[in-house]
Amino acid sequence: MTILLKETVQTIAQSIGINNLPEEVAEALAPDVEYRMREIMQGAIKCMLHSKRTTLTTEDVNSALQLHNIEFKRAVGQSDLFYVDDAEIDFKELMDAPLPKAPLDTAVVIHWLAIEGVQPAIPENVPLEAFTPSVELKKIDTLLSKKKDDEFGVEVKLPVKHVLSQELQVYFEKITGLIISRANPSLIKAALDSLATDSGLHPLVPYFTQFIADEVVRNLDDIDLLFSLMRVVRSLLINPHIHIDPYLHQLMPSVITCLVAKRLGRKSAENSAPGRKFIDNHWDLRDYVANLISFICRRFGRVYHNLQPRITKTLLQAFLDPKRAMTQHYGAIKGLAALGPRVVGLTVLPNVETFLKHLAPDLSMEAQRSEMKRNEAMRVYGTLLTAIGVCMTSRLKYFPVFFLPRTWNPGGQGKIVTARRTVVSNSLSDSCTVSQLTNTSPRKTTTSADAQDSQPMEIECIGHSYHSSMSTIELPSQDVKSDAKIVVDVSGMDHSQHQSQDMARSREQVEPSDSDKAIFPLSDSWKEDVTLGPLFSSLIDLFGEALLPFVPRTELNIFL
Amino acid sequence: MEEEQIKNAVLAYLQKKGYRQAELAFQEEDLKSTSSSFKTDTDIANQILRYSKLDNVPASYKEAYSKLRNWVHSSLDLYKHELLRILYPVFLHCFMDLVAKGFQQEARSFFQNFKDDYETLHLRDLQKLEGVLSSDHLQEMELARSLRENKVTVKMCQFSFDLLLQYLHNTDSSLMLGVVNEHINLQVTPGQPTSWSDDDMGPLLGKPQEGVSEVNTKEIKWGMLEDSLEDKAEKELAGEAEKAEAEGKEAEGDEARKKMGEAGKAKKLKKDKVSGTAGKSLKTETTSTNSGVPRVKSELPMAIFSEESERRALDDLRNRARLSSSALPSVSFYTFLNTHNSLNCASISTDGAMVVGGFADSSLKVWDMTKSTEQHSSFSSVRLWNIPLTANLVCYKGHNYPVWDVQFSPVGHYFASASHDRTARVWSMDRAQPLRIMVGHFSDVDCVQWHVNCNYIATGSSDKTVRLWDVATGECMRLFTGHRGMVTCLSMSPDGRYMASGDEDGAIMLWDLGSGQSISPLMGHTGSVWTLDFSCEGSLLASGSADNSVRIWDVIGSLKPPRIEEKNAIRRLRLLKTLPTKATPVYSLRFSKRNLLFAAGAFNPAKKL
Repeated sequence: MTILLKETVQTIAQSIGINNLPEEVAEALAPDVEYRMREIMQGAIKCMLHSKRTTLTTEDVNSALQLHNIEFKRAVGQSDLFYVDDAEIDFKELMDAPLPKAPLDTAVVIHWLAIEGVQPAIPENVPLEAFTPSVELKKIDTLLSKKKDDEFGVEVKLPVKHVLSQELQVYFEKITGLIISRANPSLIKAALDSLATDSGLHPLVPYFTQFIADEVVRNLDDIDLLFSLMRVVRSLLINPHIHIDPYLHQLMPSVITCLVAKRLGRKSAENSAPGRKFIDNHWDLRDYVANLISFICRRFGRVYHNLQPRITKTLLQAFLDPKRAMTQHYGAIKGLAALGPRVVGLTVLPNVETFLKHLAPDLSMEAQRSEMKRNEAMRVYGTLLTAIGVCMTSRLKYFPVFFLPRTWNPGGQGKIVTARRTVVSNSLSDSCTVSQLTNTSPRKTTTSADAQDSQPMEIECIGHSYHSSMSTIELPSQDVKSDAKIVVDVSGMDHSQHQSQDMARSREQVEPSDSDKAIFPLSDSWKEDVTLGPLFSSLIDLFGEALLPFVPRTELNIFL
Repeated sequence: MEEEQIKNAVLAYLQKKGYRQAELAFQEEDLKSTSSSFKTDTDIANQILRYSKLDNVPASYKEAYSKLRNWVHSSLDLYKHELLRILYPVFLHCFMDLVAKGFQQEARSFFQNFKDDYETLHLRDLQKLEGVLSSDHLQEMELARSLRENKVTVKMCQFSFDLLLQYLHNTDSSLMLGVVNEHINLQVTPGQPTSWSDDDMGPLLGKPQEGVSEVNTKEIKWGMLEDSLEDKAEKELAGEAEKAEAEGKEAEGDEARKKMGEAGKAKKLKKDKVSGTAGKSLKTETTSTNSGVPRVKSELPMAIFSEESERRALDDLRNRARLSSSALPSVSFYTFLNTHNSLNCASISTDGAMVVGGFADSSLKVWDMTKSTEQHSSFSSVRLWNIPLTANLVCYKGHNYPVWDVQFSPVGHYFASASHDRTARVWSMDRAQPLRIMVGHFSDVDCVQWHVNCNYIATGSSDKTVRLWDVATGECMRLFTGHRGMVTCLSMSPDGRYMASGDEDGAIMLWDLGSGQSISPLMGHTGSVWTLDFSCEGSLLASGSADNSVRIWDVIGSLKPPRIEEKNAIRRLRLLKTLPTKATPVYSLRFSKRNLLFAAGAFNPAKKL
């Protein structure tokens, strides 16, 4: 019953040389030992309170022992005790070693905790949650109506005159200077860290928002600067001490611009090699901004109910407008995808078909001569695929019953794979694009297993890279590889690389019937979401088995 | 009822109690009367049987207590809280009975079963009692002993009392009845049950409470010090104002007097806004706060101030900012950095020019300073330090145990110390031996504070009481009960009428010294209250706590009698402002003579892992 067992007492007795302590004695001693221990600990608590601390330290216990006139024997040397061992140090070593850094000396600093009852917003004070009305306002308030004692009914108007302390001005100039001058990354990182964590920066927020808005407009062709600016936005957003809500509406246009602008980065000749770098870069920026937007929606969506709808609307417009450039489409899809699968389901899914129709000419080698345009179209296609895929996965995840391999059909395996093969070539319309994407020189082999091998691999890899960026889905790379292997096996079935569209169509017609087998019975069991089955199959129509990696593994059992 | 059974029970009882003679007599009688069948009173038999049964089964304690507990909890709301008051003492005594009877395991399990009910209010006591496992401990531990030896007073109305009595009778729970009888002093109050508000169970003091009311009737001269600087200043200012007025009269003549009066008023208002630098406006305010406060002559010989210091003090008085519930003070915070948890106490001089920190390694560090101050070292001695010389002048030895607190009297020369040895001592600087020793607290004396007129000192103790002592006679003049934990700090209002005390649970109590009554319990802090201070005119009370905040309370508002007695049965001090600090527990607070609030604390950021 006691915390100390009689065995413990016996062990302690043995350690001091009393070997045959009778059990009764130990039993009688245990409660008393416990009582003494508690007594000492209570003394220690008293010492702690008198030291005005709230954490008990070993020093307190020592003081308590002293208070009870108990001499404390150091525990060092006992084998069954835990203690901090002081390592023996060679004297010579100690002499040779450089002097240790002196600990910081105790110092006293003075600041104003409150001035006439109002806490100034300085770094030394606790950051204020929100602005409270000034004392003058409160006074007027109480004078006007004593009933409104608790609530400050008057709207809070911040003083128009804004005084920035010298330090803050210097800070602002330093930070903006660093960002504009593109100093070395470590410096910028330090600046961003400071922005993200320092308290007392609040007075600078309007200046920063203005700065960001100005610089974004002025420097649309400077991808690095835009990137830095977006990072500044992020830092400001995650700083817990900044009350950024009132400035959000000023920040959002700049952010959206960086997502769906027609051109970000320097205008470069299409064929020139250095130009490529910038083109690649702006995709990254868009990805980053998409995540940023989803972060904003998550953090402020609850406070501003129309925030997400407005963003969604803006993005959807960009997505639906066929006249917009590929880059804009990319940004829009990316942004929508970042807002979550639900948004994708509501906005992108219904429009996939029309969009793909619009996209098709740009994807095909014949229709689109420009390599860069095709490249862009591929990117858009990839994002769309990812967005749709993630959306599907999340839907499928709601319905675990769906995954039960009820309609396992071993005979279907080969067929599905064939189908996949066709769809892959179909949707890409020219596998050459893929190889062109990766290998700078297009392959000219007509029927080679090698080409087949590399092709699906690339697709999967693209898909995979998106997974990591989305981070909602984790597909083990093993799966991807095994997929690719299967394709390789089947590739022995000898498909010509330049397969005609018609051929693919005819194959495709075979395919749905096959996949329907698997899906329709299941959709029956699914009264809640009857559309899911057909929807899924129609998506497979559109995208082919590139969607399959998005199906969770258990679900894959149905097909493989 | 089996006769044999009864006989055995009676025998067992006699044997147990060691009534040898009675036992023999009983056996003799028994032998004689075996033939003659005698009628036994079944009731008596039942009682006897129950006695033997109960004594043998410690589980009956648990059963009886949980029955009582259920009954109390399911009683009518109107009487419930009154009945709840007896549960805690009954619980403690049941536990201690079990311990005393040697049922260690049962006692422990009983304790564990029911302790949750009381943890919010009596955590520290429970922690102490939890370790008690044998009757020796009961004797040794002071809390347990005082609980055992003294009755606890519980107030309840007639009806609740009847209810309780009926319950105890009807359920035959003589065990509980015994506990209540033995350890609880039920005080029946006439009329309606008291409201929740007075349900301030107070601490469970194991000492006769009648003493409290007795002690608290002693007469106390709580007024301000006669001929103090404040007094002088006031008189002087009043004289000045009169003079000015007279001059004004002469100069202006009668017809312009009315006009002048208005202008004067307007002027006054203006000056008030500029924190009242003129004597005229000051006069009105000082008289308004301190008028009617009696002046008391100190019984201690007073030190004489130099002209210079007097002049400076008067200057401060003139420049004092006026504080009220609508005009809050400015707070200047002295943060100790890099203390590595070793700062134990801090003090600030009244003009804010000096800050001193006392550290765990028994060192004192003084920052930016010019005058001498006093501090205590860690163990059983008080030392006087001279700062210009940075030397220890005197070491006052007298306490046998660590000194927890030292305070200089308002006029200097004398100081009081509080110690773990349960005494408070009054010293003068020129003697190495204490002048007075105040004995009476049942546990450590944790803090000490002088009354403004120097005739009294107040002490706060770990026994949860605050006492007021007469310095001249060493007599205990007041005993204040109401705290639920160790009293950590004390402060006297400048007019000498009120005293505030803070405890380790974060509660602050305000006491009227004259009547010995508690005025306003005050809840708000979530950590121990380390420091308290009244503003110079006594309108505000500032408190600093381990919960990293300084709070400012409205004293005047809380003192006003509530308009409607029923509704404002609880008068709480009104919290005016909470000023959170940045991970800095507030160790010390002090209003300067000009009503600027100084605060000090050690910055103690949460360790990042």
